[in-house]
Amino acid sequence: MVDAQMVREFTDLLSENGVITDEVGLRSYECDGLTGFRQVPALVVLPRDAEEVAGAVRLCAKYGMPFVARGAGTGLSGGAMPVADGVVISLQKLRRILEIDVENRRAVLEPGVYNLEISKAAAPYGLYYAPDPSSQQVCTIGGNVAENSGGAHCLKYGFTTNHVLEMEVVLADGSVVTLGGPTGEQAGPDLRGLFIGSEGTLGVATSVTVRLLQTPQSVRTVLADFPSIEAAGDTVGDIVDAAIIPAAVEMMDSLAMEASEAATGAGLTVDSPAALIIELDGPSDEVEAEFEQLTAICERHGATRLHVPQEAEERQKVWKGRKAAFAAVGRISPDYIVQDGVVPRTRLAEVLTRIADMGRDAGLRVANVFHAGDGNLHPLVLYSEAAGEHDAAEKLSTDIAELCVELGGSLSGEHGIGTDKACSMPAMFSSDDLAVMHRVRLAFDPDSRCNPGKLFPTPRLCGERPGKYQPHPLEEAGVIERL
Amino acid sequence: MSTPAVTTVTPTTVDELRDAVLAHPGTLRVAGAGTAADWAGTPAPADTVLDVTGLSGIVTHNPGDMTVEVRAGTPFAALQDELAQHQQRVAVDPARATAGATLGGLFATADSGPRSLQYGSLRDLVIGATVVLPDGTIARSGGHVIKNVAGYDLTKVLHGAHGTLAVIAGLVLRLHPAPRSTPTVAVPTDRAGMADLARRVADSPVEAVAVQWHADRLLCLFEGSPEGADTRARKLVETVGGEVLAPDDATAAWDAHDAAVRARPDGRAVLRLGVIPSALPGVLDGLDSDIGGDAGGLTEVTASPRTGIATLALPADADLVAAAHRRVAEAGGTSTLRQRPDGASLPAFGPAPASAVLLRAVAASLDPDQRLGRGRLAPWIPLPTGQPTGVSA
Repeated sequence: MVDAQMVREFTDLLSENGVITDEVGLRSYECDGLTGFRQVPALVVLPRDAEEVAGAVRLCAKYGMPFVARGAGTGLSGGAMPVADGVVISLQKLRRILEIDVENRRAVLEPGVYNLEISKAAAPYGLYYAPDPSSQQVCTIGGNVAENSGGAHCLKYGFTTNHVLEMEVVLADGSVVTLGGPTGEQAGPDLRGLFIGSEGTLGVATSVTVRLLQTPQSVRTVLADFPSIEAAGDTVGDIVDAAIIPAAVEMMDSLAMEASEAATGAGLTVDSPAALIIELDGPSDEVEAEFEQLTAICERHGATRLHVPQEAEERQKVWKGRKAAFAAVGRISPDYIVQDGVVPRTRLAEVLTRIADMGRDAGLRVANVFHAGDGNLHPLVLYSEAAGEHDAAEKLSTDIAELCVELGGSLSGEHGIGTDKACSMPAMFSSDDLAVMHRVRLAFDPDSRCNPGKLFPTPRLCGERPGKYQPHPLEEAGVIERL
Repeated sequence: MSTPAVTTVTPTTVDELRDAVLAHPGTLRVAGAGTAADWAGTPAPADTVLDVTGLSGIVTHNPGDMTVEVRAGTPFAALQDELAQHQQRVAVDPARATAGATLGGLFATADSGPRSLQYGSLRDLVIGATVVLPDGTIARSGGHVIKNVAGYDLTKVLHGAHGTLAVIAGLVLRLHPAPRSTPTVAVPTDRAGMADLARRVADSPVEAVAVQWHADRLLCLFEGSPEGADTRARKLVETVGGEVLAPDDATAAWDAHDAAVRARPDGRAVLRLGVIPSALPGVLDGLDSDIGGDAGGLTEVTASPRTGIATLALPADADLVAAAHRRVAEAGGTSTLRQRPDGASLPAFGPAPASAVLLRAVAASLDPDQRLGRGRLAPWIPLPTGQPTGVSA
């Protein structure tokens, strides 16, 4: 619990402005982008630099307080949801780009730097930062590290873990370590790669060194409408078979396009059953040659319209239609849940058919916007809270994620497990798998004070009803304790 | 004094591997093809050798998904041959691959080759793993899809673990299409000029997938369609000079490069290092002057001026090797001893970083009795009390 002495110590460290204790202030941190899960924290602190982060973590250690590091709070899995009686360490004041090293093509960043700011700062030098989550204007690099964020262009360029070279990390006891190194060359095990994607459960990154890439010489994009989801899916298969690695291949169904077009006027065909946005980048001659191949493949599969934006501005408009799709769904449904499952790309048609069936059975609409090139689905389950559809929507959403696992895929491609999917983890991992992960967690954080209650299933979180005691399988495996 | 007989077991399935780990108490040493047997720390004598070459072959290959699951003891070259039939490949090219190295061995030693400039190392391409812990637990992490953030990426911690922490039984990899054309441009330059030249290559739009200095030439490798890659190679020659090598000459140049990386010169140790690219020339010059011309300076130098990674041979002298580790560490880099003359006692790593505490905690959580690869990561993970510790830098 928070007492006056503790608040005084935080205030001494961070000044009055760096400590939030009032109810209204605390409430603005009660959830992240997954608004269905809420918890008001006991305390919010706002350190201004890495040293203050370490100091704040040490105070949490001194008082045995659990803490949750938070960037912009845009996460979609409840990873930054506060812990009851815990501290939120907001990193929003650590927003400096510490270095753009043009010679070595890297940037050193504080964790609160927005993803898109990196590319903006690098652009004058012909460089950019490749991972581009749809929320890139408002999500932070620290959050990207926690979630191992991807984005539309990760099919060709990889994920956060492929672009982070080195990090300074504050561990649960307040000690500071450097993980990774100045190159991909490693001496000893890759603790950097273990930390990335650990959803804030292993420590707090206070500086992140990323690789910058040369801006491609040429970019070509096509927006192609198809008479069916299957035709669009087959097109993606043929592109892969032709050994073309597009920078991005995105698919939208008619429901998603209807919503997005209403919001953005991006030029999507609202009555088309499916559309692909395909982008190629690289050296001009080869991009042109591959682009011809690509449009021929689209036509072979009955594309009803090929829109090729000529100017960068026009291209951005098409991308806006894609990237704004999640938010736009609010126009056609009062409430919705975003899913993030992954299937092997070759099973896309199968999974979409089954999702449509499941939606019909549940009496709910499902819009689909997804990264078709790597099989990462984002089904949007539409529902009305007011009409009492929440539980049915939750169930459908969970069933879809677990269906992805059944088809050989994953619960999450980029949004993380967080609070949202923790209870589905046993569908993907055995109790032994989870027990080993938990052992590693305890090696970093013996008291489980870093973002507790996330990623790992717990009986309390996973809704076990009180009554006759039945050991949870994870309890038996020693992964969890009954709270 | 008699040496106790060492038992060697050769499991052929994951269950047999687990059974072997449980049936042979005491210390274990994982052995693959033996191409990196003396890399990193000198292993303490083990009670049992786990020969994982029996865990061989592809489990599943999904060409349409561009993923493959492979048993860890599979020779990497055989895997590439198999994938080539589908015009696919694992986009890494460590020099040991052609010497018979296994996939698991390359992963455990964090080995990589010139193409790491474009594709990274195996840590960037492995998407899942099955491992066996010293307590017999079989654990999986990751999966079969290239995009997956569910759970900890435990696989990563075995990249560079040199056979400690857990036994790798199988790995799932993401694949890339095999390029139809791979021209090489060779530009003459001495070591002093390689960095500026490599910078000019990087700043041009030709997109070389490897830029590697060896034997007074910068070798620039291109991949793509015959018309595309060949055009880019010619454009580079127009920009920076040199020549597009004839296919046989290109093969010979890269073979010579790989042979230098694999070389075991008499009486010398081999060090692998990575520093921030702009620091690489200075670090190499510094190492040369530390050693002095009388001792032969650096030999077998291969360097990637754009990644900052270099492999080189130096005298197998404990003080010189320790000094080399320190020089790299002072430049903010990392270094690992790769090869040493038989019986030479040389420091494997530089000064322990602050994260060594964490490394020891992770090791204690996965292998509390230090059964696996004892000594490999010494002195960062010291031997249990009572055993001689590793040589310190």
